[in-house]
Amino acid sequence: MHFVNQSHNYDHPWSHVVIGMWHKYPNPKCTHVVSIDVLDRTVDPKTGIIRTERVLGCKQKAPTWIVKLFGGSEDAFVREISFIDPRTQNATITSENLSLSQFATCLEQIRYSPSSTPGRTVFLQTAEIQARMALWRSAADGLEKWMAQRFEQNAQLGKMAFTDVLRRLWEERERMQAVPA
Amino acid sequence: MAESLASECTPLKKEYDSCFNAWFEGYLEPAVSASSSPEKYSEYSQRKAEEFEQKCGKIWEGYRACVQKALKEKGLDIMLQQSREENPMNRPPPLPPSSSSS
Repeated sequence: MHFVNQSHNYDHPWSHVVIGMWHKYPNPKCTHVVSIDVLDRTVDPKTGIIRTERVLGCKQKAPTWIVKLFGGSEDAFVREISFIDPRTQNATITSENLSLSQFATCLEQIRYSPSSTPGRTVFLQTAEIQARMALWRSAADGLEKWMAQRFEQNAQLGKMAFTDVLRRLWEERERMQAVPA
Repeated sequence: MAESLASECTPLKKEYDSCFNAWFEGYLEPAVSASSSPEKYSEYSQRKAEEFEQKCGKIWEGYRACVQKALKEKGLDIMLQQSREENPMNRPPPLPPSSSSS
C-alpha cells in the first residue's frame, strides 16, 4: 500500500479555483489527459450541492513488463466524482482507476477550501494505491510502485498546470474588465 | 475545453460544457453570499437548480445519449457499473476534523 498526502496553496479565492476546475484540461503540461466526459450531474435544489460524475481518458505508456503481465494498453480511464458545496465552501474530487482495477486500485481525494489567509485556497490531496491481494507478491509490489510513481509525477504536473490555468483565466478576465466600455 | 472520448460527441460535449460553465459562473458567488441566510439560500438554490435544467437540460439529453452509446461500444459501461456498485459516492466525503473550526 502506498499513501500520498500533500497540500498546496493557490493564490486565488475559492470561487475562482472552483470555477477554474472546469477549465483545467486540455493542458500542455498534462498531455496524458486526452478526453473528459460528464456522465451525470445533479444540482440539489435543497442543499445547492452540485455532484458531477466524469470519466477521464488518459494516454500514458506503461512499462513493457506491466503490459505483458497485466494486459492493458496506453489508454486508461478514470472515474471521478466531485461535490461542490457553496454553503460550506468545500469542493471535493474523488477519483479511481477503471483500467487495471482488477489488479490494483488508486483512490485519490482532493479538497479545495478557503485558506485562513483571505484570497487564497488550500488544496489537500490524499491517495491510496493498493494492489489486490491475490497477485504474485513482487509483481504486485512492482505494479504498486509504478502506479505510485506515475501518480506523483502526474500530481506535480497537475498542480503546475492548474496554476497556469488560474493565472491565465483570471488575468484575462481582469484585463477584459479593465477595458473602458 | 477537452475532447470527448468519442469524437462524434465532442461538439455536443463542448456545447454542454459551455452551457454549464456559463450557468455555474453565475451561480457560485451569489450562492456563497446567500448561504448566510438559510431561507435565502434554499430559495436561491431551488431557483437556480430549475434554471440549470431549463437552460442546459435539452443539450444534456443529446450529449448524454451520444456518450452512453460510445461507452457501450468501448466496453466502459461494464467497468463503470462495477465501480458504481463498489463505490457509489452518492454523498460528499466527510469534512476533515480540522476544517470545522474555520
